[in-house]
Amino acid sequence: MSRSFMINRRTALGGAAALAAGAALPAHAQDNKRIVVGTWGGDYSRLLAKNIETPLLAPKGWDVVKDEANDPPRRAKMLAEKSLRRGTSDIQGLSAANMFEMNEQGVLEQIDYSKLPNAQNLIPAMKYAYGVGHIYSGKVVLYNPKLVSTPPTGFADTLDPKHGEKLGIIDIQYQYTLLAAGLASGGSMSNVEPGKERLVACKKAGARIYPSNEALAQALKTEEIALCIMWKARAVQWQNAGINIETVAPKEGVPMYVSGFGMPKNAPNKAGAYAYLDAMMEASAQEGFAVDMGYNPTVTTAKVPDDTQKRIGFTDEEKKRLVDLDYAYMAKNDSAFQDWWNKSFKG
Amino acid sequence: MTDTALAHGPVVEKRRGDGLTAAALITPATIFVALCLLAPLAILFRYSLNDFIPAKKMMVEAVTAANYVKFFTDPYYTSILLTTVRIAVLVTLVCLVVGFPLAYVVARTQSRWKHLLIISIVLPLFVGNSVRAAGWMVVFGNKGFVNASLMGFGLIDKPIEIMFTEKAVIIGIIAVNLPFMVLSLQSVIEGIDRAVEEAAFSLGAPPATMFRRVLWPLALPGILAGTILTFILAMNAYATPFLLGGPLFKMMAPLVYNQFTQQTNWPFGGAIAFILMTVTLALTVAANLIIQRRARS
Repeated sequence: MSRSFMINRRTALGGAAALAAGAALPAHAQDNKRIVVGTWGGDYSRLLAKNIETPLLAPKGWDVVKDEANDPPRRAKMLAEKSLRRGTSDIQGLSAANMFEMNEQGVLEQIDYSKLPNAQNLIPAMKYAYGVGHIYSGKVVLYNPKLVSTPPTGFADTLDPKHGEKLGIIDIQYQYTLLAAGLASGGSMSNVEPGKERLVACKKAGARIYPSNEALAQALKTEEIALCIMWKARAVQWQNAGINIETVAPKEGVPMYVSGFGMPKNAPNKAGAYAYLDAMMEASAQEGFAVDMGYNPTVTTAKVPDDTQKRIGFTDEEKKRLVDLDYAYMAKNDSAFQDWWNKSFKG
Repeated sequence: MTDTALAHGPVVEKRRGDGLTAAALITPATIFVALCLLAPLAILFRYSLNDFIPAKKMMVEAVTAANYVKFFTDPYYTSILLTTVRIAVLVTLVCLVVGFPLAYVVARTQSRWKHLLIISIVLPLFVGNSVRAAGWMVVFGNKGFVNASLMGFGLIDKPIEIMFTEKAVIIGIIAVNLPFMVLSLQSVIEGIDRAVEEAAFSLGAPPATMFRRVLWPLALPGILAGTILTFILAMNAYATPFLLGGPLFKMMAPLVYNQFTQQTNWPFGGAIAFILMTVTLALTVAANLIIQRRARS
């Protein structure tokens, strides 16, 4: 009689396992309110929390978890997870060029815009089949008025060997640097080849190469360099930080930088991803980004204060020079660009 | 009945345990190593034989040695391998030369502050590599500690370029690896009886001869352990060359990372990883054999 009530170690372990399995079920149900967002760290992530997650998503019960890293490792992770039924992120912050590339790789879900009420206010150019544009800016010329007597007018007189070691170039922005050099030397958004010779000449003349935007900002601040090319939004941030720089919208054209969000095909919580995308297009969130980060809103309903608009935006004349990238060309040649950049330009 | 069971139970268990204990003890570690090291290595090796289509950035199933051939036929890549080997050898030698006297002093000191000395050697290991590199960045910058001090004293009028150069990387890696060398040497030197050194002196050997004929051969196991450890760490250094070397300086580990993340070229990244591993292993084994043969002769 007493034997039948005996609980041995094995029974106890089995029971514990069953309990644990049971406990996991409600936990899974709770997960549906969790949105895992892949994003860059630093300011961008902080501002996502400030302008989107805390005011718009938290009150509706969404729990946002961030996977912060630069985009190359996040893209590598997305590709590594491609064959999994359930991925580990619901939404990923990527540049338009990278969204295009990830879509080509078959990793991104096609967006169903009927699930996004705020999408009706989206600037048509920011509506990608595989992602939504969040903010945009343009590549402009930055110069220090104290060190450069004649302000440059475009890429040609910026990416010029005459500046010697006063010219700064960012390693990670090889694509836009190649585009700018291409435009400066008579190329186009679909042909950067003419610019290569110009870049090599600048490097030979002593142009300095920096690993990151922050390192370049530091060099501008210490007056190690006097000019460079950069997103207008970054220039505004740096001006706010007290760095003595002016911006010029290049006469050859202003290549656009669009940053947006895409949804992996195997996102565990697609409803959450749609909620995030919709909140991101809310006018208040977009206005917050314009003021805090200096990027232009991608929805027509956002009202940016006039003085901010003057600094971050582009005049009508300049807007005519905004050019979008040829994403197919960039994606197709990216490996070749990197090879050239690493071996022939830096090497 | 119960008594008999009690009396026989332990004996039976012991007999059963005899055969199983050893297996049971090594199984968890074996499974862990097999799953977490060998399996990924095997997968990576398989990937390194695949093809890559640059225009689509896609890996295509294949069995080809093209990635390995590409590495060894392109001077860009072979020069990175040579730089890595050169820096690893240099760092190891400097660590040995600088570390030996320090290890000797620590091993032989009778001071009551000995434990503090050891802690101060180990202390840098409490801070992660990248944090330490960030500290060096503050020291080496154009307006950093070194340049600001030198300019402040009027010794130079233009900042010396240290940051983003090979010099910065070498100093950074030496700082990371030195504790490993000192600790390996110190534990072995401590085990050498002081009386052996005194015997050499009493027989008329000058310090240099004592070092060459007595201390060095006896400390050889520690020297081997220290150099192997330092060399492997230097060959695979990632954070230091990445942060202090800047965009123009390349070593193997950052190159592997670049191929995987920046270029999404897994096959070539896998091939480079295997080349790095093989070269490191081969050089380590070769150095080991040479030193041991020397010691015997």
